[in-house]
Amino acid sequence: MANGFTSSRGLAGTTLRINLTTGEIKRYPTDEKLMREWFGGRGAIAKILYDEVPRDADPLGPENLFIMSAGVMSGCFIPSGAKIEFGSVSPLTNGHGDSNMGGHLGPTLKFAGYDMVIMSGISPKPIYLFIDDDTVELRDASKYWGMGSLACEPAMKKDLGEDFEIATIGPAGENGIRFSCITHDFGRQAGRTGQGAVMGSKKLKAIAVRGTRGINVYNLNKLTEQVTAIIKRTQTHPNMAPWQKYGTAFFIEWSNDNAVIPTRNFQTTYYEDIKGISGEALVDRCLITHKACFGCWMNCGKYTKAVLPGKQTVYLEGPEYETGALCGSNLGMTDINQVAYLNWLMDNVGMDTMSGGGVVAFAMECFQRGLITTDDLEGHTLNWGSVEDTEHFVDMMVHRRGIGEYFSGGTKRAAEKIGRGSEKFAMQVKGQEMSGYDGRYAPGMLLSYMTCDIGAHHNRSWTITVDMAEGRDKVEGRAKVVVYLQHVRPLFDCWCICRLFWGELDIEPEEIVESLNHITGWNIDAAEAFKTSEKIWNLVRCHYLERNKANGRTFDYPPARSWEDKIPTGPSAGKGLTKEQIETMLDEYYACRGWDSDGNPSREVLHDLKLDFAADNIEKIGLLGKPLPNGIPAVRGERYKPKAF
Amino acid sequence: MIVYFRAGGQLRARLKPDVDHYTRKVEVDGEKTIAEILKDISVDSAYVALIHVDGKMTDLSFKPSNGQTITLQPPVSGG
Repeated sequence: MANGFTSSRGLAGTTLRINLTTGEIKRYPTDEKLMREWFGGRGAIAKILYDEVPRDADPLGPENLFIMSAGVMSGCFIPSGAKIEFGSVSPLTNGHGDSNMGGHLGPTLKFAGYDMVIMSGISPKPIYLFIDDDTVELRDASKYWGMGSLACEPAMKKDLGEDFEIATIGPAGENGIRFSCITHDFGRQAGRTGQGAVMGSKKLKAIAVRGTRGINVYNLNKLTEQVTAIIKRTQTHPNMAPWQKYGTAFFIEWSNDNAVIPTRNFQTTYYEDIKGISGEALVDRCLITHKACFGCWMNCGKYTKAVLPGKQTVYLEGPEYETGALCGSNLGMTDINQVAYLNWLMDNVGMDTMSGGGVVAFAMECFQRGLITTDDLEGHTLNWGSVEDTEHFVDMMVHRRGIGEYFSGGTKRAAEKIGRGSEKFAMQVKGQEMSGYDGRYAPGMLLSYMTCDIGAHHNRSWTITVDMAEGRDKVEGRAKVVVYLQHVRPLFDCWCICRLFWGELDIEPEEIVESLNHITGWNIDAAEAFKTSEKIWNLVRCHYLERNKANGRTFDYPPARSWEDKIPTGPSAGKGLTKEQIETMLDEYYACRGWDSDGNPSREVLHDLKLDFAADNIEKIGLLGKPLPNGIPAVRGERYKPKAF
Repeated sequence: MIVYFRAGGQLRARLKPDVDHYTRKVEVDGEKTIAEILKDISVDSAYVALIHVDGKMTDLSFKPSNGQTITLQPPVSGG
């Protein structure tokens, strides 16, 4: 029992609400109905943000909430129950934002007795949140303010004790860089949607947690039996050994071979210097040892060092695939040590390496095209493949000097300032930069970016092998697969378990739901799980429409490079989609979702998802979807079955 | 010559395992590369992101020896 509330059914028992302006800390029993109906993690965050954040609230202002939620499965006796989800209205996209990290913080928060911490207001001075079982305090963080994330965590562990789990922001978050991240366990980040900037806006430097209790589950015997069988099965899985050795970095060469790797700001999709930045290069030249999150033996994390002439040797976790692509081929780097160094740099300042790589690449192309010059860059250049140029530019952004101020808001805002056609190659959707795959010859992937709730992120839906199987020139039929994946994959972010373990080792969604039922006693099936996820998806869509006050379709387009520039080089030279194909994909997607052709949810689908309150709200602002002539599909999204022989 | 292929994920369905849940036994005439053998058994090598033999990464041009096990890894579902 913690704080007088009992742990049961996967919940720790207590939710904290903290007013950072006044310093008031309140404890409540965790709302089990909220957890059941919205699944915790991303789902609970979505509901709370929708209900409580005013539609005109500044994401970097006091009315925005900053929420961390550990989810019902995190910390329980299951593999990789390691995640914690952070959420707020995103300063990048001006809509719902959420991002998660692995490591140990999520389970530890639950071991301390807490499922969720909801923070409002702005502290008058730099603070950190201190949680030690029943003790919850806001402590002075002035000695840590200004420290890099990778320096701050060990400093705090030295002061508090090694058994504290620490999450920090760096100077990027402190200075409101809109794609700032939160870092934990030396190399795990909640990278996307600018959660670090929201923390920084609240003067919240860090979160330090120690927890010593257990978590009660509904049926431990059945959970143990099921999980033991899964463990035995996965120990001999063919994917396990390569994962343990390379992590996701092994995928870099495949991505290049199949011409989807972003190269020099997505100018092309094939990189001639791929060998120098590959997964094998990482293992051969940088690897020190492997690293794992709580409850996981996939140990996909790689503890490495970067050694560059003239630079101090630095130690980091990574680079994994996304950083390898977006700070590697996308910046024209040729040596894995360069990529690792930039990984370290961005981790330490507290910048998302995905958006960071995307923003730097955009700036490099602006420099290539003469849209920015050395006069704008304090006398420096910004050439492809230059670590020094990148390091200087990152510093300009972090400290918002000169033109760095434009880019500190992301590529969309930078392009609005730069103008002169640069919007075409600002590779983002809704303000968030693309993940490390070029979608011009992978239509399902492009559709995934276009329709992702948090901007151009791959985590909700990844379809490249579907595109390969079904034909990369063909766009029809992708939407139903994208919709299905957009229901399945975010479930991991609700339940706070790792998609890589559960998704890469042939564990079916039905088995995950079985584990969930053993933990919670909810007795749901996979279809209900998908429907709840669909409900969350639609609520987030309505929230976005209400904040941004225009038809949804307005925001669902990729940058014009996606259809104007055919791929110039490599195996996919000459390939690319047309604008008409992009419109076709959107039309099909909206129909699949039960939304109208403007991309607005219809009352019929919202009613089916028990979101009538959201339908009323978007109706008031004229954005309720028109009634669909043929009604809504009975089931939205279709599970893809790989083609057999 | 006999070689064994192991795969999980999306590749397993394509491989059609016949030894255990993940493994297929393949008879190979003469010396062939992994790419050639996969073509013979109708596994599209485009779905192979990583090849492991005896704990080491190799590629489609590798020619396996009698009795070797080749592990094929499909792409991740987004890294």
